[in-house]
Amino acid sequence: MSSDNKKSKLVFAVPLIIFLLLCVFLFKGLFSNPRELQTGRLGQAVPAFTLPDLMVDDKLWSDKDLAGKVYLINVWGTWCTTCLVELPYLTKLRERGVNIIGLYLEQGYDPDFDGEFNIQALRDEVSQMLARTGNPYQYNIFDLNRSLAFDLGVSGAPETFLVDSKGVILLHHTGDLNERIWRAKFASKFTELKEVKL
Amino acid sequence: MKYFLFVLLMSFSAVTFAVEEAQTFHNEQQAKLFKELSLELRCPKCQNQNIADSNAVVAKDLRDKVIELVKKNESKDYIVDYMIDRYGYFVHYKPPVTASTLVLWILPILFVLIGFGSIVFRQKKSSLKQDWSDKDEDKLSKLILKYQNTSVEDKQELS
Repeated sequence: MSSDNKKSKLVFAVPLIIFLLLCVFLFKGLFSNPRELQTGRLGQAVPAFTLPDLMVDDKLWSDKDLAGKVYLINVWGTWCTTCLVELPYLTKLRERGVNIIGLYLEQGYDPDFDGEFNIQALRDEVSQMLARTGNPYQYNIFDLNRSLAFDLGVSGAPETFLVDSKGVILLHHTGDLNERIWRAKFASKFTELKEVKL
Repeated sequence: MKYFLFVLLMSFSAVTFAVEEAQTFHNEQQAKLFKELSLELRCPKCQNQNIADSNAVVAKDLRDKVIELVKKNESKDYIVDYMIDRYGYFVHYKPPVTASTLVLWILPILFVLIGFGSIVFRQKKSSLKQDWSDKDEDKLSKLILKYQNTSVEDKQELS
């Protein structure tokens, strides 16, 4: 009778244990951020590209120009309000010796409807915005058709990638970069790479 | 008359829409594949919409890329992998079995197994508990006899 009792206790315990495990699983889910997307490119090289400079005519950048140093690729646009908040912090990072390359994401341009793109108007807008916030960028790559952004798995702005000196993507952060995010996600990787001591 | 015009206009707009859709692809198969993929691929910007449903810039870019690849006669697996390479597993509505998604696949099966298991277990248990001896059998037949008789008498009384 006592072994029977034990058995039935065990049978009752099984659903309880499953329920508790499920609770743990769902509880963890409460704190996971659904907006936190990771590119499928993590651990891979930056995809090949050749794209023009945002501010200088006839200047082209390619993936080969990026090789040899640790840097951040920051995806941004003048249309992006969060970028406006983020730019002063990025400027601070640059002052601390972090290389930041801008990937300018043009949001609404559609060649079928909009005709020729007015680059001068955009340059004026960019200069105005960077004059207000500080300019964190070594230079800006202009991705009019969002081709590099697509290959990187960018879904909006701001987004930031950490790339090592071999050109491998180590981190992908969606949303603004601030002191808290930098400390939690980027700082340790950076000291690991011994590029800058922060 | 107003109503008639409304219906007329509505039907025309539907026709033009259908023509536009058909013109995009070289053949029926490609159109079908595009439709399938645009329902199965998930917009990275908007949590619970597929790319057919969303007007986000990135969803449009994904649609355009799917059209481009479909027109190149790429297979469905190739296109899905192409998107997963860039946007991660998030972009596909059919998650693969990995350690973190295992619970989604196992839990329903587990629930069914435990449910049916407990039903079977309980039935077996209750049927085992009824020990039936010769004494019980005797008692039962006596009871049956007794009540059979009374019921016969009752009937006689009634008649």
